[in-house]
Amino acid sequence: MSTPAAVVWQKNPDLAWREIDDETVIISPHDSVMHELNDTGSFLWKSIDGKKSAAELAELLVENYQVAPDVALSDAQALLEEMSSRKLVVTVSATGGVSP
Amino acid sequence: MTASLSAGATPVMDRLISRTVEKHRPLSVHFDLTYRCNERCVHCYLDHDNHGELTTAECLQVLDDLARSGALFLTFSGGEIFLRPDLYEILAAARRLHFDISLKTNALLVTPERAARLGELGVRRVQISVYSDIPAVHDAITKVPGSLQRTLAAIPILLQHGLQVKLACPLMRENLLAYRGVMALAEKLGVPYILDLTITPMMDGSSGPLAHRASVSSLLPVLQDARLEACKPQPTSATARPESVGPLGSAVSSGIESPAYQDLPCSAGHNSCYISPYGDVFPCVQLPQAAGNLRREKFDDIWYHAPQLERLRAIRESQLPVCSRCEIRSYCERCPGLALMEGGNLLGAYERACALAEEKARLAGVVAPTSALHRERDRASVQTTPEAEFALLAADSNSD
Repeated sequence: MSTPAAVVWQKNPDLAWREIDDETVIISPHDSVMHELNDTGSFLWKSIDGKKSAAELAELLVENYQVAPDVALSDAQALLEEMSSRKLVVTVSATGGVSP
Repeated sequence: MTASLSAGATPVMDRLISRTVEKHRPLSVHFDLTYRCNERCVHCYLDHDNHGELTTAECLQVLDDLARSGALFLTFSGGEIFLRPDLYEILAAARRLHFDISLKTNALLVTPERAARLGELGVRRVQISVYSDIPAVHDAITKVPGSLQRTLAAIPILLQHGLQVKLACPLMRENLLAYRGVMALAEKLGVPYILDLTITPMMDGSSGPLAHRASVSSLLPVLQDARLEACKPQPTSATARPESVGPLGSAVSSGIESPAYQDLPCSAGHNSCYISPYGDVFPCVQLPQAAGNLRREKFDDIWYHAPQLERLRAIRESQLPVCSRCEIRSYCERCPGLALMEGGNLLGAYERACALAEEKARLAGVVAPTSALHRERDRASVQTTPEAEFALLAADSNSD
Protein backbone atom coordinates (compact mmCIF):
# COMPACT_ATOMS: atom_id res chain seq x y z
CA MET A 1 0.00 0.00 0.00
CA SER A 2 1.51 3.26 -1.07
CA THR A 3 -0.73 5.60 0.92
CA PRO A 4 0.16 6.36 4.54
CA ALA A 5 -2.09 5.18 7.34
CA ALA A 6 -3.23 8.73 8.18
CA VAL A 7 -4.70 9.14 4.73
CA VAL A 8 -8.45 8.84 4.51
CA TRP A 9 -10.54 8.07 1.47
CA GLN A 10 -13.51 9.76 -0.15
CA LYS A 11 -15.66 9.12 -3.19
CA ASN A 12 -15.05 11.19 -6.28
CA PRO A 13 -17.98 13.63 -6.04
CA ASP A 14 -18.44 13.75 -9.81
CA LEU A 15 -19.63 10.16 -10.10
CA ALA A 16 -23.11 8.82 -10.65
CA TRP A 17 -23.72 5.65 -8.71
CA ARG A 18 -26.42 3.47 -7.27
CA GLU A 19 -26.54 0.38 -5.11
CA ILE A 20 -29.03 -2.03 -6.63
CA ASP A 21 -29.66 -5.27 -4.76
CA ASP A 22 -26.32 -5.32 -2.93
CA GLU A 23 -24.25 -4.51 -6.00
CA THR A 24 -23.13 -1.03 -6.91
CA VAL A 25 -22.84 0.48 -10.36
CA ILE A 26 -20.68 3.56 -10.79
CA ILE A 27 -20.46 5.74 -13.90
CA SER A 28 -17.56 8.03 -14.64
CA PRO A 29 -19.28 11.02 -16.24
CA HIS A 30 -16.41 12.16 -18.42
CA ASP A 31 -15.69 8.88 -20.21
CA SER A 32 -19.05 7.14 -19.57
CA VAL A 33 -17.27 4.01 -18.36
CA MET A 34 -19.36 1.86 -16.05
CA HIS A 35 -17.87 0.11 -13.04
CA GLU A 36 -19.48 -2.61 -10.98
CA LEU A 37 -18.84 -3.56 -7.37
CA ASN A 38 -19.89 -6.86 -5.83
CA ASP A 39 -21.60 -7.00 -2.45
CA THR A 40 -18.40 -6.73 -0.43
CA GLY A 41 -17.11 -3.96 -2.67
CA SER A 42 -20.46 -2.21 -2.26
CA PHE A 43 -20.14 -2.46 1.51
CA LEU A 44 -16.75 -0.79 1.33
CA TRP A 45 -18.04 1.83 -1.12
CA LYS A 46 -20.87 2.78 1.22
CA SER A 47 -18.39 3.04 4.08
CA ILE A 48 -16.09 5.44 2.23
CA ASP A 49 -17.08 8.77 3.70
CA GLY A 50 -14.01 11.01 3.57
CA LYS A 51 -13.19 10.17 7.20
CA LYS A 52 -11.94 6.59 7.24
CA SER A 53 -8.53 5.18 6.41
CA ALA A 54 -7.94 1.84 4.71
CA ALA A 55 -7.31 0.26 8.11
CA GLU A 56 -10.59 1.59 9.48
CA LEU A 57 -12.46 0.35 6.43
CA ALA A 58 -10.82 -3.05 6.89
CA GLU A 59 -12.01 -3.11 10.50
CA LEU A 60 -15.57 -2.65 9.26
CA LEU A 61 -15.09 -5.62 6.96
CA VAL A 62 -13.92 -7.73 9.89
CA GLU A 63 -16.96 -6.67 11.94
CA ASN A 64 -19.46 -7.42 9.19
CA TYR A 65 -17.94 -10.36 7.34
CA GLN A 66 -16.29 -13.46 8.73
CA VAL A 67 -12.82 -12.58 7.56
CA ALA A 68 -9.38 -12.42 9.15
CA PRO A 69 -8.01 -8.91 9.79
CA ASP A 70 -5.00 -9.34 7.51
CA VAL A 71 -7.19 -10.58 4.65
CA ALA A 72 -9.63 -7.70 5.19
CA LEU A 73 -6.85 -5.14 5.13
CA SER A 74 -5.30 -6.64 2.04
CA ASP A 75 -8.66 -6.71 0.26
CA ALA A 76 -9.57 -3.17 1.28
CA GLN A 77 -6.20 -1.82 0.20
CA ALA A 78 -6.34 -3.60 -3.14
CA LEU A 79 -9.83 -2.32 -3.89
CA LEU A 80 -8.99 1.24 -2.86
CA GLU A 81 -5.91 1.25 -5.05
CA GLU A 82 -7.90 -0.12 -7.97
CA MET A 83 -10.66 2.45 -7.50
CA SER A 84 -8.08 5.19 -7.12
CA SER A 85 -6.45 4.21 -10.40
CA ARG A 86 -9.87 4.56 -12.05
CA LYS A 87 -10.46 7.92 -10.33
CA LEU A 88 -13.46 6.61 -8.41
CA VAL A 89 -11.97 7.58 -5.05
CA VAL A 90 -9.49 10.16 -3.93
CA THR A 91 -7.33 10.38 -0.84
CA VAL A 92 -7.58 13.19 1.65
CA SER A 93 -4.55 14.01 3.77
CA ALA A 94 -4.73 14.67 7.50
CA THR A 95 -4.57 18.37 6.68
CA GLY A 96 -7.63 18.09 4.47
CA GLY A 97 -6.00 18.31 1.04
CA VAL A 98 -7.38 16.14 -1.75
CA SER A 99 -5.15 14.21 -4.10
CA PRO A 100 -6.31 12.11 -7.03
CA MET B 1 -14.58 -12.73 0.82
CA THR B 2 -13.24 -10.77 -2.11
CA ALA B 3 -14.27 -7.25 -2.89
CA SER B 4 -14.29 -6.94 -6.64
CA LEU B 5 -14.52 -4.19 -9.20
CA SER B 6 -15.19 -4.73 -12.87
CA ALA B 7 -15.52 -2.19 -15.65
CA GLY B 8 -16.59 -1.61 -19.22
CA ALA B 9 -19.71 -0.24 -20.85
CA THR B 10 -21.52 -3.09 -22.56
CA PRO B 11 -20.84 -6.14 -20.35
CA VAL B 12 -21.62 -4.23 -17.17
CA MET B 13 -24.70 -2.70 -18.77
CA ASP B 14 -25.98 -6.04 -19.99
CA ARG B 15 -25.54 -7.57 -16.54
CA LEU B 16 -27.25 -4.56 -15.02
CA ILE B 17 -30.16 -4.85 -17.43
CA SER B 18 -30.52 -8.55 -16.72
CA ARG B 19 -30.51 -8.03 -12.97
CA THR B 20 -32.91 -5.10 -13.03
CA VAL B 21 -35.31 -6.78 -15.43
CA GLU B 22 -35.33 -9.94 -13.36
CA LYS B 23 -36.15 -8.04 -10.17
CA HIS B 24 -38.13 -5.22 -11.80
CA ARG B 25 -35.91 -2.41 -10.57
CA PRO B 26 -36.61 0.98 -12.18
CA LEU B 27 -33.12 1.45 -13.57
CA SER B 28 -33.95 4.12 -16.11
CA VAL B 29 -36.50 6.93 -15.78
CA HIS B 30 -37.58 9.50 -18.34
CA PHE B 31 -39.02 12.49 -16.47
CA ASP B 32 -40.71 15.26 -18.47
CA LEU B 33 -40.62 18.40 -16.34
CA THR B 34 -42.97 20.38 -18.57
CA TYR B 35 -44.90 20.06 -21.79
CA ARG B 36 -44.58 23.80 -22.40
CA CYS B 37 -42.29 24.55 -25.29
CA ASN B 38 -40.79 27.47 -27.16
CA GLU B 39 -41.04 25.60 -30.45
CA ARG B 40 -44.14 24.26 -32.19
CA CYS B 41 -42.79 21.27 -34.08
CA VAL B 42 -45.23 20.02 -36.65
CA HIS B 43 -44.87 16.37 -35.59
CA CYS B 44 -44.97 16.88 -31.81
CA TYR B 45 -47.14 14.50 -29.79
CA LEU B 46 -47.64 16.83 -26.82
CA ASP B 47 -50.28 19.28 -25.68
CA HIS B 48 -48.18 22.32 -24.73
CA ASP B 49 -50.64 23.89 -22.30
CA ASN B 50 -49.81 23.70 -18.61
CA HIS B 51 -52.41 21.55 -16.88
CA GLY B 52 -50.79 21.74 -13.45
CA GLU B 53 -47.15 20.70 -13.46
CA LEU B 54 -45.54 19.12 -10.42
CA THR B 55 -44.19 21.80 -8.11
CA THR B 56 -40.52 22.01 -7.26
CA ALA B 57 -41.13 20.29 -3.92
CA GLU B 58 -43.10 17.54 -5.64
CA CYS B 59 -40.33 17.02 -8.19
CA LEU B 60 -37.73 16.75 -5.43
CA GLN B 61 -39.88 14.22 -3.59
CA VAL B 62 -40.16 12.19 -6.79
CA LEU B 63 -36.37 12.20 -7.13
CA ASP B 64 -35.95 11.03 -3.53
CA ASP B 65 -38.36 8.19 -4.14
CA LEU B 66 -36.70 7.21 -7.41
CA ALA B 67 -33.25 7.12 -5.83
CA ARG B 68 -34.53 4.93 -3.00
CA SER B 69 -36.09 2.61 -5.57
CA GLY B 70 -32.75 2.13 -7.32
CA ALA B 71 -33.18 4.37 -10.36
CA LEU B 72 -29.79 5.36 -11.78
CA PHE B 73 -30.31 6.76 -15.28
CA LEU B 74 -32.45 9.88 -15.26
CA THR B 75 -33.40 11.79 -18.39
CA PHE B 76 -35.06 15.16 -17.95
CA SER B 77 -37.04 16.24 -20.95
CA GLY B 78 -40.09 18.15 -22.08
CA GLY B 79 -41.50 20.28 -23.72
CA GLU B 80 -38.51 22.51 -23.25
CA ILE B 81 -36.85 21.97 -19.88
CA PHE B 82 -35.27 25.42 -19.76
CA LEU B 83 -38.78 26.85 -19.40
CA ARG B 84 -38.82 25.42 -15.86
CA PRO B 85 -37.41 28.22 -13.69
CA ASP B 86 -36.51 25.64 -11.05
CA LEU B 87 -34.51 23.46 -13.46
CA TYR B 88 -31.21 23.99 -11.67
CA GLU B 89 -32.73 23.29 -8.29
CA ILE B 90 -34.07 20.01 -9.63
CA LEU B 91 -30.74 19.15 -11.26
CA ALA B 92 -28.87 19.95 -8.04
CA ALA B 93 -31.13 17.56 -6.15
CA ALA B 94 -30.57 14.88 -8.77
CA ARG B 95 -26.81 15.39 -8.43
CA ARG B 96 -26.96 15.07 -4.65
CA LEU B 97 -28.80 11.79 -5.15
CA HIS B 98 -26.06 10.52 -7.50
CA PHE B 99 -28.21 10.03 -10.60
CA ASP B 100 -26.63 9.73 -14.01
CA ILE B 101 -28.27 12.77 -15.60
CA SER B 102 -29.14 13.37 -19.26
CA LEU B 103 -31.18 16.19 -20.74
CA LYS B 104 -33.21 16.55 -23.90
CA THR B 105 -33.61 20.08 -25.19
CA ASN B 106 -33.91 22.16 -28.32
CA ALA B 107 -31.05 24.25 -26.86
CA LEU B 108 -32.59 27.58 -27.91
CA LEU B 109 -32.10 28.93 -24.40
CA VAL B 110 -28.58 27.65 -23.82
CA THR B 111 -26.08 30.35 -22.90
CA PRO B 112 -22.47 30.01 -21.70
CA GLU B 113 -23.64 30.66 -18.13
CA ARG B 114 -26.36 28.02 -18.32
CA ALA B 115 -24.01 25.50 -19.92
CA ALA B 116 -21.51 26.11 -17.13
CA ARG B 117 -24.19 25.43 -14.54
CA LEU B 118 -25.18 22.21 -16.27
CA GLY B 119 -21.54 21.12 -16.15
CA GLU B 120 -21.24 22.03 -12.48
CA LEU B 121 -24.40 20.13 -11.69
CA GLY B 122 -23.02 16.93 -13.16
CA VAL B 123 -25.17 16.61 -16.26
CA ARG B 124 -23.46 13.98 -18.38
CA ARG B 125 -25.19 14.26 -21.72
CA VAL B 126 -27.43 16.64 -23.61
CA GLN B 127 -29.50 15.39 -26.52
CA ILE B 128 -30.49 18.10 -28.95
CA SER B 129 -33.16 17.93 -31.63
CA VAL B 130 -31.84 18.96 -35.04
CA TYR B 131 -34.08 18.36 -38.03
CA SER B 132 -31.82 19.51 -40.83
CA ASP B 133 -28.65 21.39 -41.57
CA ILE B 134 -30.73 23.65 -43.78
CA PRO B 135 -32.28 26.53 -41.81
CA ALA B 136 -35.42 26.72 -43.94
CA VAL B 137 -36.15 23.03 -43.42
CA HIS B 138 -35.41 22.96 -39.67
CA ASP B 139 -37.24 26.22 -38.97
CA ALA B 140 -40.29 25.13 -40.96
CA ILE B 141 -40.59 22.10 -38.66
CA THR B 142 -40.06 24.02 -35.40
CA LYS B 143 -42.07 27.00 -36.66
CA VAL B 144 -39.49 29.29 -35.05
CA PRO B 145 -37.51 31.44 -37.50
CA GLY B 146 -33.80 31.34 -36.72
CA SER B 147 -34.12 28.27 -34.51
CA LEU B 148 -31.51 26.17 -36.31
CA GLN B 149 -28.94 28.93 -36.02
CA ARG B 150 -29.60 29.27 -32.28
CA THR B 151 -29.62 25.51 -31.68
CA LEU B 152 -26.35 24.99 -33.52
CA ALA B 153 -24.73 27.90 -31.70
CA ALA B 154 -25.41 26.11 -28.41
CA ILE B 155 -23.56 22.93 -29.30
CA PRO B 156 -19.96 24.18 -29.06
CA ILE B 157 -20.88 26.02 -25.87
CA LEU B 158 -22.09 22.80 -24.27
CA LEU B 159 -19.04 20.90 -25.50
CA GLN B 160 -16.73 23.58 -24.12
CA HIS B 161 -18.24 23.00 -20.68
CA GLY B 162 -17.51 19.30 -20.77
CA LEU B 163 -20.98 18.08 -21.64
CA GLN B 164 -21.48 15.25 -24.08
CA VAL B 165 -23.78 16.23 -26.91
CA LYS B 166 -25.86 13.95 -29.08
CA LEU B 167 -27.99 15.05 -32.01
CA ALA B 168 -31.42 13.51 -32.45
CA CYS B 169 -33.16 13.86 -35.77
CA PRO B 170 -36.70 12.55 -36.10
CA LEU B 171 -37.19 11.90 -39.81
CA MET B 172 -40.44 12.86 -41.46
CA ARG B 173 -41.72 13.96 -44.84
CA GLU B 174 -40.44 17.49 -44.33
CA ASN B 175 -36.79 16.62 -43.66
CA LEU B 176 -36.25 13.15 -45.06
CA LEU B 177 -34.02 14.30 -47.88
CA ALA B 178 -31.88 16.31 -45.47
CA TYR B 179 -30.79 13.39 -43.34
CA ARG B 180 -27.31 13.23 -44.87
CA GLY B 181 -26.85 16.86 -43.94
CA VAL B 182 -27.56 16.06 -40.30
CA MET B 183 -25.08 13.17 -40.45
CA ALA B 184 -22.43 15.45 -41.94
CA LEU B 185 -23.18 18.10 -39.36
CA ALA B 186 -22.76 15.65 -36.49
CA GLU B 187 -19.58 14.27 -37.95
CA LYS B 188 -18.19 17.78 -38.39
CA LEU B 189 -19.01 18.53 -34.76
CA GLY B 190 -17.63 15.16 -33.68
CA VAL B 191 -20.79 14.19 -31.83
CA PRO B 192 -22.95 11.07 -32.08
CA TYR B 193 -26.37 11.24 -33.65
CA ILE B 194 -29.51 9.24 -34.01
CA LEU B 195 -31.96 9.32 -36.88
CA ASP B 196 -35.33 8.40 -35.47
CA LEU B 197 -37.80 6.91 -37.93
CA THR B 198 -40.66 7.09 -35.44
CA ILE B 199 -43.39 9.67 -35.65
CA THR B 200 -46.03 8.83 -33.07
CA PRO B 201 -49.66 9.81 -32.55
CA MET B 202 -50.44 12.45 -29.92
CA MET B 203 -50.39 11.16 -26.37
CA ASP B 204 -54.18 11.39 -26.32
CA GLY B 205 -54.24 9.03 -29.30
CA SER B 206 -55.14 11.54 -31.98
CA SER B 207 -53.36 10.96 -35.22
CA GLY B 208 -52.42 14.49 -36.35
CA PRO B 209 -48.62 13.97 -36.28
CA LEU B 210 -48.92 10.89 -38.48
CA ALA B 211 -49.63 13.12 -41.47
CA HIS B 212 -45.92 14.00 -41.31
CA ARG B 213 -44.69 10.43 -41.24
CA ALA B 214 -42.54 9.44 -44.20
CA SER B 215 -43.69 6.43 -46.18
CA VAL B 216 -41.72 3.23 -45.76
CA SER B 217 -40.64 3.32 -49.39
CA SER B 218 -39.32 6.86 -49.00
CA LEU B 219 -37.16 5.67 -46.09
CA LEU B 220 -35.25 3.29 -48.33
CA PRO B 221 -32.20 5.56 -48.68
CA VAL B 222 -31.90 5.68 -44.90
CA LEU B 223 -32.41 1.95 -44.49
CA GLN B 224 -29.80 1.30 -47.17
CA ASP B 225 -27.24 3.80 -45.94
CA ALA B 226 -24.09 1.85 -45.17
CA ARG B 227 -23.01 4.41 -42.62
CA LEU B 228 -26.05 3.66 -40.49
CA GLU B 229 -26.72 0.39 -38.80
CA ALA B 230 -30.33 0.74 -39.71
CA CYS B 231 -31.21 -2.91 -40.10
CA LYS B 232 -30.36 -3.78 -36.55
CA PRO B 233 -31.84 -2.35 -33.38
CA GLN B 234 -29.24 -0.10 -31.78
CA PRO B 235 -28.73 0.81 -28.15
CA THR B 236 -29.88 4.37 -27.67
CA SER B 237 -30.54 6.88 -24.98
CA ALA B 238 -33.87 5.23 -24.33
CA THR B 239 -31.97 3.04 -21.88
CA ALA B 240 -29.37 5.71 -21.31
CA ARG B 241 -26.64 3.27 -22.18
CA PRO B 242 -23.29 4.86 -21.58
CA GLU B 243 -21.39 4.70 -24.82
CA SER B 244 -17.65 4.75 -24.55
CA VAL B 245 -17.27 3.03 -27.88
CA GLY B 246 -19.54 2.22 -30.78
CA PRO B 247 -20.89 3.61 -34.00
CA LEU B 248 -21.24 7.36 -34.25
CA GLY B 249 -24.68 7.18 -35.76
CA SER B 250 -27.69 4.94 -35.88
CA ALA B 251 -31.19 4.84 -37.24
CA VAL B 252 -34.01 3.32 -35.27
CA SER B 253 -37.73 3.01 -35.64
CA SER B 254 -38.72 2.40 -32.04
CA GLY B 255 -35.68 2.58 -29.82
CA ILE B 256 -33.30 0.23 -28.10
CA GLU B 257 -32.55 -2.75 -27.21
CA SER B 258 -30.05 -4.99 -25.51
CA PRO B 259 -29.82 -8.75 -25.90
CA ALA B 260 -30.32 -8.83 -22.16
CA TYR B 261 -34.03 -8.20 -22.74
CA GLN B 262 -34.29 -11.57 -24.49
CA ASP B 263 -37.97 -12.46 -24.87
CA LEU B 264 -39.33 -9.14 -23.64
CA PRO B 265 -40.82 -6.63 -26.08
CA CYS B 266 -38.75 -3.79 -24.58
CA SER B 267 -37.66 -2.26 -21.31
CA ALA B 268 -40.94 -0.42 -20.63
CA GLY B 269 -42.32 -1.34 -17.24
CA HIS B 270 -39.57 -3.89 -16.66
CA ASN B 271 -36.69 -1.61 -15.71
CA SER B 272 -37.73 1.73 -17.15
CA CYS B 273 -40.64 4.10 -17.00
CA TYR B 274 -41.83 7.57 -17.88
CA ILE B 275 -43.12 10.30 -15.58
CA SER B 276 -45.21 13.14 -16.97
CA PRO B 277 -45.07 16.76 -15.72
CA TYR B 278 -48.32 16.05 -13.92
CA GLY B 279 -46.98 13.08 -11.99
CA ASP B 280 -48.51 10.33 -14.07
CA VAL B 281 -46.36 7.20 -14.25
CA PHE B 282 -46.40 5.42 -17.61
CA PRO B 283 -44.39 2.39 -18.72
CA CYS B 284 -43.00 4.57 -21.52
CA VAL B 285 -43.69 7.91 -23.15
CA GLN B 286 -44.87 5.90 -26.18
CA LEU B 287 -47.17 3.78 -24.05
CA PRO B 288 -49.43 6.37 -22.44
CA GLN B 289 -51.42 4.13 -20.11
CA ALA B 290 -51.06 5.68 -16.66
CA ALA B 291 -50.23 3.16 -13.97
CA GLY B 292 -50.74 5.73 -11.22
CA ASN B 293 -50.10 9.31 -10.17
CA LEU B 294 -47.32 10.45 -7.85
CA ARG B 295 -49.51 13.09 -6.26
CA ARG B 296 -51.68 10.34 -4.84
CA GLU B 297 -49.33 7.37 -4.48
CA LYS B 298 -45.71 6.66 -3.73
CA PHE B 299 -43.57 5.62 -6.66
CA ASP B 300 -42.84 2.18 -5.22
CA ASP B 301 -46.54 1.49 -4.70
CA ILE B 302 -47.20 2.23 -8.36
CA TRP B 303 -44.09 0.52 -9.70
CA TYR B 304 -44.49 -2.72 -7.78
CA HIS B 305 -48.27 -3.01 -7.54
CA ALA B 306 -50.02 -1.30 -10.46
CA PRO B 307 -52.02 -3.90 -12.40
CA GLN B 308 -51.17 -2.15 -15.68
CA LEU B 309 -47.47 -2.77 -15.09
CA GLU B 310 -48.02 -6.33 -13.91
CA ARG B 311 -49.92 -7.11 -17.10
CA LEU B 312 -47.19 -5.56 -19.22
CA ARG B 313 -44.51 -7.57 -17.42
CA ALA B 314 -46.28 -10.80 -18.26
CA ILE B 315 -45.95 -10.26 -22.02
CA ARG B 316 -43.40 -12.40 -23.86
CA GLU B 317 -42.58 -11.90 -27.52
CA SER B 318 -42.66 -15.65 -28.08
CA GLN B 319 -46.30 -15.66 -27.02
CA LEU B 320 -47.57 -12.75 -29.10
CA PRO B 321 -50.56 -13.99 -31.08
CA VAL B 322 -49.37 -12.91 -34.53
CA CYS B 323 -45.77 -11.72 -34.21
CA SER B 324 -44.52 -14.94 -32.58
CA ARG B 325 -45.25 -16.69 -35.90
CA CYS B 326 -43.49 -14.06 -37.99
CA GLU B 327 -40.57 -15.33 -40.07
CA ILE B 328 -38.97 -11.90 -40.32
CA ARG B 329 -39.31 -11.11 -36.65
CA SER B 330 -35.59 -10.46 -36.29
CA TYR B 331 -35.89 -7.46 -38.62
CA CYS B 332 -38.73 -5.93 -36.68
CA GLU B 333 -38.62 -3.16 -34.10
CA ARG B 334 -42.16 -3.65 -32.90
CA CYS B 335 -43.09 -1.18 -30.16
CA PRO B 336 -45.84 -2.27 -27.75
CA GLY B 337 -46.98 1.33 -27.31
CA LEU B 338 -47.35 1.90 -31.02
CA ALA B 339 -49.05 -1.48 -31.33
CA LEU B 340 -51.63 -0.20 -28.90
CA MET B 341 -51.97 3.28 -30.33
CA GLU B 342 -51.89 2.32 -33.99
CA GLY B 343 -53.23 -1.21 -33.99
CA GLY B 344 -55.44 -1.02 -30.90
CA ASN B 345 -53.80 -4.04 -29.29
CA LEU B 346 -50.79 -4.10 -27.01
CA LEU B 347 -50.10 -7.66 -28.11
CA GLY B 348 -50.82 -7.17 -31.77
CA ALA B 349 -48.94 -6.51 -34.96
CA TYR B 350 -49.31 -3.14 -36.64
CA GLU B 351 -48.90 -2.09 -40.21
CA ARG B 352 -45.97 0.29 -39.88
CA ALA B 353 -43.71 -2.17 -38.03
CA CYS B 354 -44.54 -4.96 -40.47
CA ALA B 355 -43.85 -2.82 -43.52
CA LEU B 356 -40.54 -1.62 -42.11
CA ALA B 357 -39.51 -5.16 -41.16
CA GLU B 358 -40.29 -6.38 -44.67
CA GLU B 359 -38.21 -3.61 -46.18
CA LYS B 360 -35.28 -4.31 -43.87
CA ALA B 361 -35.47 -8.04 -44.55
CA ARG B 362 -35.55 -7.39 -48.29
CA LEU B 363 -32.47 -5.21 -48.01
CA ALA B 364 -30.75 -7.94 -46.02
CA GLY B 365 -31.34 -10.41 -48.86
CA VAL B 366 -34.47 -12.22 -47.74
CA VAL B 367 -36.50 -13.23 -50.80
CA ALA B 368 -40.08 -11.97 -50.81
CA PRO B 369 -40.23 -11.30 -47.09
CA THR B 370 -43.75 -11.24 -45.71
CA SER B 371 -44.67 -10.47 -42.15
CA ALA B 372 -47.02 -12.77 -40.30
CA LEU B 373 -49.64 -10.02 -40.26
CA HIS B 374 -49.58 -9.70 -44.04
CA ARG B 375 -49.29 -13.44 -44.62
CA GLU B 376 -52.32 -14.16 -42.47
CA ARG B 377 -54.23 -11.28 -44.00
CA ASP B 378 -53.49 -12.64 -47.47
CA ARG B 379 -54.49 -16.15 -46.39
CA ALA B 380 -57.73 -14.87 -44.91
CA SER B 381 -58.38 -13.01 -48.12
CA VAL B 382 -57.84 -16.18 -50.18
CA GLN B 383 -60.01 -18.23 -47.87
CA THR B 384 -62.91 -15.82 -48.01
CA THR B 385 -62.78 -15.34 -51.75
CA PRO B 386 -65.02 -18.32 -52.71
CA GLU B 387 -67.62 -17.22 -50.20
CA ALA B 388 -67.41 -13.68 -51.41
CA GLU B 389 -67.75 -14.84 -54.99
CA PHE B 390 -70.73 -17.02 -54.05
CA ALA B 391 -72.33 -14.06 -52.36
CA LEU B 392 -71.76 -11.98 -55.46
CA LEU B 393 -73.19 -14.72 -57.67
CA ALA B 394 -76.17 -15.05 -55.39
CA ALA B 395 -76.67 -11.31 -55.47
CA ASP B 396 -76.42 -11.36 -59.25
CA SER B 397 -78.91 -14.21 -59.58
CA ASN B 398 -81.33 -12.49 -57.23
CA SER B 399 -81.16 -9.34 -59.28
CA ASP B 400 -81.91 -11.23 -62.49
